[in-house]
Amino acid sequence: MSDDSTRDGTMTENKGFEPKIVAYVCNWCTYLGADLAGTTRLEYPPNVRIIRLPCTGRIDFNLIVKGFEIGADAVLVSGCHPGDCHYTAGNYHARRRWILFRELLDTLGFDLRRIHFTWISAAEGKKWQQVITEMTEQTRQLGPYTDLYANGSAQDSANDLPSGPPTPFEFKTLPAEGALRESCRKLLADGTVKVVIGYGQRGPAILTRAEDAGRLVWNNRCVSNLTTYLKRKEIKALGKPAVVVKPCDEKSLVVLEKESQLDRKNIHVIGMACEGVGEPKCTFCTARTPRFADETLGEAAGPASLADPPPNRFAALMAMAPAERMAFWAKQFDRCVKCYACRQVCPMCYCERCIADKNRPIAIDPAPSAKGNFAWQIARAFHLAARCVGCGECSRACPAGIDLALLNIALHKAAQVNFGYDAGVDPAAEPVVGSYALQDKEDFIG
Amino acid sequence: MSEIISQSGLRQLVADRIAAGTIVSGPTQVKPKLVLYAVLGSPDDLLLEGFVRPDNSIKECVFPKQEELYGYRIQGNNIELTDGLTNDDLTNDDAPVPKQLVVAARPCDAAALPILDHIFNWDFKDEFYNRRRAATTVVTLACDSHGENCFCTSVGLHPAAERGSDAMLFELGDGSYEVRCITDKGRALFDGKTEESDKVGRADAGPEKKFDPETVRAFVDQHFEDPFWSQHALTCVGCGVCAFTCPTCHCFDIVDAGPSAGNARYRTWDSCQFPMFTAHASGHNPRAGQPSRQRQRILHKFSIYPNKFGEILCTGCGNCTRNCPEGIGVLTVATEIDHG
Ligand code: SF4
Ligand code: SF4
Ligand code: SF4
Ligand code: SF4
Repeated sequence: MSDDSTRDGTMTENKGFEPKIVAYVCNWCTYLGADLAGTTRLEYPPNVRIIRLPCTGRIDFNLIVKGFEIGADAVLVSGCHPGDCHYTAGNYHARRRWILFRELLDTLGFDLRRIHFTWISAAEGKKWQQVITEMTEQTRQLGPYTDLYANGSAQDSANDLPSGPPTPFEFKTLPAEGALRESCRKLLADGTVKVVIGYGQRGPAILTRAEDAGRLVWNNRCVSNLTTYLKRKEIKALGKPAVVVKPCDEKSLVVLEKESQLDRKNIHVIGMACEGVGEPKCTFCTARTPRFADETLGEAAGPASLADPPPNRFAALMAMAPAERMAFWAKQFDRCVKCYACRQVCPMCYCERCIADKNRPIAIDPAPSAKGNFAWQIARAFHLAARCVGCGECSRACPAGIDLALLNIALHKAAQVNFGYDAGVDPAAEPVVGSYALQDKEDFIG
Repeated sequence: MSEIISQSGLRQLVADRIAAGTIVSGPTQVKPKLVLYAVLGSPDDLLLEGFVRPDNSIKECVFPKQEELYGYRIQGNNIELTDGLTNDDLTNDDAPVPKQLVVAARPCDAAALPILDHIFNWDFKDEFYNRRRAATTVVTLACDSHGENCFCTSVGLHPAAERGSDAMLFELGDGSYEVRCITDKGRALFDGKTEESDKVGRADAGPEKKFDPETVRAFVDQHFEDPFWSQHALTCVGCGVCAFTCPTCHCFDIVDAGPSAGNARYRTWDSCQFPMFTAHASGHNPRAGQPSRQRQRILHKFSIYPNKFGEILCTGCGNCTRNCPEGIGVLTVATEIDHG
C-alpha cells in the first residue's frame, strides 16, 4: 500500500512542479474574503483547494496533517482577525492551540515552512490574493513534500538518542512501608474509605478489606501512577477510595480536579515522601514531598545534585534537522503495535470513548502504519497538551519502547514558555487549553 | 557425532540469506533494556546472548500486525483487485511469496506456530497465514537462562523443546553452536554449513513448575460467574499489551481503507481486552468490563482452545506478565487460581 499515492500527480510533464495547497478557512471572514477576490476578478494561482469550516476554533488539528497525507505540499489555516470572530472568541482559542500545535509538529519533524496561519477578513480580497500568490511561489521553491513520514534509512540505529549508562537497580524496601499498611488498615477498618488503591507485590493492589492491608508494599518498584484507577468505573463503584501517590503522581490529581473529573473531598490521598524510584524522570524531580495529600508518610531529602546528569534527550532530538527528526519518529513508530497501552495507563486519558475508537466513520486510521501511527500520536500528545503531568506512564507501558515522553515534554515546554503554565503544580492556575489571553503571541500568524 | 556451526558461520549464513533476498528476523537490541524480534538489516544486528527472551513474538512473521488482504484500483469503469501479499493479480496463485527466515527464536515462540496452524486452518483455510508460514524457516536457539516470568515447564514445554522449529541451535560455550536439524527446511538451510564434532550443546534446565494447568482448567470451567474475576481484574487497565506480545494470541480486526489510505482491505491485531472487541452495533456489550475480559483470556487459553484442539493455547513464554504494565498476565492469574 502506498501511503502517498496521490502525491504522484503533483508533477505534470509540461509545467514542472505545481504545488497543491489546502486552505482551511472560516465561513465568516476568510471564505468571504476569498469570495470577494473572485467576484472582484483578482487573479491568484489556481493551486489552492478551499475547505470551509464554521470557525478556526473548530478546525481539528488532524485535518492539517490529513491535508499533507492526501497530497498537499502546503497547508493554510485562516480565519477572522482577533476581535472579529463571529462566535466572539473562537479565533482566540484557535490561536492558543496553534501555538502549541506548531511545537508538536516541529518536534515530530514536520516542515513548518509548509504550514501557514493568517487572518483574512471578508473585506480583504486583496490579502487573500497576495497570501495565496506568495504561498504558492514559496512552496514551488520548496518542491514536493516528499519527507512526510519518510523513515530515512530505517535500519540505521545511529539516529537513536543518547541514553547514558544504565543506572544499576538495587531493590529496596522503604521505611514508610509499615506506616502505610497501618494507615490503610485503619482507614478500611473504621470505614473512612471503602477501597485502597496501593502497590502490591506484583503490581497495583486494590484492597477492600482491612485484614489485607499487609499485602501493601512501599519500595523502589512502586513506579506506576495509581491515580489512573480513579477514573475506572469498576473502582468508582466500590465507594470512597484512598489512593497512594508519590509527589509526581499527585500532580495528576490537581489537573483531574481542575477538569471536574474527581471530587477531591471524596478521595483520601496518602502521599508518600519519595527520593526516587529509579526512573529517568526521578533524576530531574524536584517535588520529593507531597503537597496536597490528606496524610504524608515517610521523609525525603531534597533532590540530590547530579554529578553526572544524564544526556538531555529532548535537546538532542531538537538539534536534528526536521527531516531527520521525522525519520527518527517514523523509525520509532514503526514498532508501534497499536495496543493503546499509552492511553490506557494515562491518568489524563479519561474519555469514555477515545477518538481512536470512533469507527463510524473512522477518525484516526487504526492501522499500525506510518500514517496511522503519526495520526494516533498527534492526537494523543495534543489531547494531553498542557495537561500531561510527566508521570512517564505512557513510555513505561509501551511494549515497543517508543520514547513517547519526548512528545509530552515538547508540549510541556511550550506551555511553560508561552503561558508560564506547569500542569499539576498550581491548583489556582487557569488551564491553558480552554482559555485564552488577548496578548497571546501571534508572531507566526501572517 | 554432532554437527556444529561457529557464531561467525551463523552470521555468515544470515548475511547470505539477506543477500539472497530472504527476509531474516531475529532478536535485536532495539534500545537499552529492550530486545525485540525485528527484521535484520545486517547479521551484526542479531543478538544471540545476554537476554531472557524478546518482549515481542515471532507471530509477526506469519501474522503481521497489519496485513493487506487485497488492494483495489479504480480505472474508469473497471475495478482491479490485487493480492495483498504478493501485489500481483488476484487470480495468479503462483506469484512468489517472499521467503522468510527466523533465527534464534525461543522454543516458546516456535512452539506457538503449530498452535496457530490449527486456528488458521480449522473451519477456514487462511491462505495469507498459510502462504507466509510455508515460506518461513524457523531456527530456534535453546535458552541458556530463564527469567522470573518464564513458565514453559508448567505448560509442557522446556528450554530445549523442538516443537515448531525447523532446526535447533544449542550453545557449546565456546562461541559455537550444535545444530540439530528437524525438518527438511532446516536441513536444506544448514546443508554444507556445519562441521562434524563430538561436542554436545547444552540448554538451561528451565523454571520450576509454577502451577498446574489442569487445576486452572477445572477452575475456569466451573467459575464462570465468580467474584474471583472482579477481584483479580480490578487492576487490569485493558491495554491489550498481553495479547499483542503473546505468540499465541491471534485475534484480528478487518478495516476497509479508502483512497486516501491506499485503497485496501487489511487486517490488524485485535485483543479481547478491548471494549470494542465485543461491542455490538446496538451499543450492547456482552463483556461489559475488564473482569469478563480477563476471564475470557484465561478461559480461551486453558479451556476453550484445549477442548477443541487438545492442547493449551499458551507456551509459557511469560510475555503477557513480563509486559503487562500492571503485572497481571497468565502467570499471575494462574498462580492465584492454583495457590490462592
Ligand atoms: S501523557 Fe504520559 S506522562 Fe503524561 S500524564 Fe499521561 S501517562 Fe503520564
Ligand atoms: S503503547 Fe506503544 S505500541 Fe502501544 S499504541 Fe502506544 S505507542 Fe503504540
Ligand atoms: S492484563 Fe495487563 S497487559 Fe493485559 S490488558 Fe490488562 S493491564 Fe493490559
Ligand atoms: S498467554 Fe502469556 S505466557 Fe502464554 S504464550 Fe501468551 S504471552 Fe506467553
